[in-house]
Amino acid sequence: MSQRQLAYVFDLNKCIGCHTCTMACKQLWTNRKGREYMYWNNVETRPGMGYPKNWEQKGGGFKDGVIRTDGKIPPMADYGGVWEYNTADVLLKGKGDQVVPHEKPTYGPNWDEDEGTGQFPNNHYFYMPRICNHCSNPACLAACPRKAIYKREEDGLVVVDQERCRGYRYCVKACPYGKVYFNLQTGKSEKCIGCYPRVEKGEVPACVKQCSGRIRFWGYRDDKDGPIYKLVDKWKIALPLHAEYGTEPNVFYVPPINVTPPPFEEDGRLKDEPRIPIADIEALFGPRTKEALATLGREMQKRREAKPSELTDILIGYTNKDRYGI
Amino acid sequence: MKLVRYAKKLSLLMLCSAAALGTTAWAAPAETGARTLSALSVKAGVDAKSPGAAVWKQAPVTQVDLQPAFPGHPSIVGTPATHRLTAQAVQAGDMLYVRLRWTDKTANTDMADTDRFLDQVAVQFPLSGEVTTTPFMGDGNNPVNIWHWFADGRTENLFAQGFGTATPVASKELTSSHARNGDGWDVVLARPLVVKSDEGVVLNGRKSVPVAFAAWDGAGQERDGFKAVTLEWWQLQF
Repeated sequence: MSQRQLAYVFDLNKCIGCHTCTMACKQLWTNRKGREYMYWNNVETRPGMGYPKNWEQKGGGFKDGVIRTDGKIPPMADYGGVWEYNTADVLLKGKGDQVVPHEKPTYGPNWDEDEGTGQFPNNHYFYMPRICNHCSNPACLAACPRKAIYKREEDGLVVVDQERCRGYRYCVKACPYGKVYFNLQTGKSEKCIGCYPRVEKGEVPACVKQCSGRIRFWGYRDDKDGPIYKLVDKWKIALPLHAEYGTEPNVFYVPPINVTPPPFEEDGRLKDEPRIPIADIEALFGPRTKEALATLGREMQKRREAKPSELTDILIGYTNKDRYGI
Repeated sequence: MKLVRYAKKLSLLMLCSAAALGTTAWAAPAETGARTLSALSVKAGVDAKSPGAAVWKQAPVTQVDLQPAFPGHPSIVGTPATHRLTAQAVQAGDMLYVRLRWTDKTANTDMADTDRFLDQVAVQFPLSGEVTTTPFMGDGNNPVNIWHWFADGRTENLFAQGFGTATPVASKELTSSHARNGDGWDVVLARPLVVKSDEGVVLNGRKSVPVAFAAWDGAGQERDGFKAVTLEWWQLQF
């Protein structure tokens, strides 16, 4: 257990699926040296297969406190290729008339973007950004026989010691979120580092800073004046993803409510129920989902009636300082 | 954390098991001639570098049975595929060559994908040259030196002081060559008998030295402690 724990809250009601977070991470950390295929940060459409493909079925995590060994190491096909485009040939040299990747893509991050589920006009989807959860009980750490993975004492970020790692990939198997990646060039495993070099300089992670929807809140869990404590512990509207995996994630999600209008009745009137089935959301965020959504709905209603609401003020996050204290 | 408690319990269990095995598993073979690999001594310069070198037709051939390694960590599960390897040794002047052959129908020679693993083989010596060192990767006071071959052609010189501690130590002296042999591998590991003591086991001036073997089948995702090994020291006789 680390002395302090950095944590994140992602408000799914504000995510517009622009992937700016993904690009910020990609440009900063994963566009070189064997990391090209990795997306430490990705945004996936729910319902959907996610990234890596069908990660919710890959296994891993804990059962009754004991690490599960049935996890899968995703093959490259489940991540998608590293496509090179003939942009220069087409646009600069006039060769050919179509910019195409060098191979036929068969999967990729957000492969099923905006597909969702259901029949028009009552189909639905929402966006879910995902990073390493920097868990309090990380399965990747528990799975490593070499103790190459550790939680930083000062902030609880989970990192892979590249000197100690020997590429056994038990961590890749064990992470139930599919957020540890194997670098084929170095023969070692890598993952989101929580932008710790930025954090050490007093800057927030790149994915947080660049989020154009301002959906990301960041800070120490024990900072009672910060947004994490207020959203997770005080208002209890931010929930961990698949808590049943037993890893105690430190990324929390405000579940989606009214991100799409209610579904249509046969006669064209709007039904008095949410378009996204509550069971679908509970499958991700657990049994406290209803309570969280009720709180959120109640506070939003206050605001509609021009009454003050601390919660909606926090979620709007007017300034950087409001969202991450810097 | 629950898992830490579990890991501690497992470590304790392993220590007890190792202690129980200690009197038989770590001691020298009870029967003379049992678990012995005899090195053929030839003059310096005789070619033994490659698996196909003529000298290997003269060197004594020893069958070495392998068993699943003791799992040193909860992550390590599975039954390794290799049951036996064939070992030979040649001492040519101040050089030692160890040739290992075993059946492995699929040659896993590159990590072409994120879920691929390489075929591997390794020879282990107690750094002290004494059988009192545990053959299970040594311990904090009794390190082992491992010569580790990977099917992509790399050879690593490793030191270890217990499970999960294998650490590469740079050595230009340790080399290897390999060939496919029908449906298996044929690997020769070579090193001078004498190296700096911080670079590996010193083998000169001895009649014999304890030695252990391990093999990994990449096709079954074998790696690390998921391997087939000799659970007791053998003796390499010069």
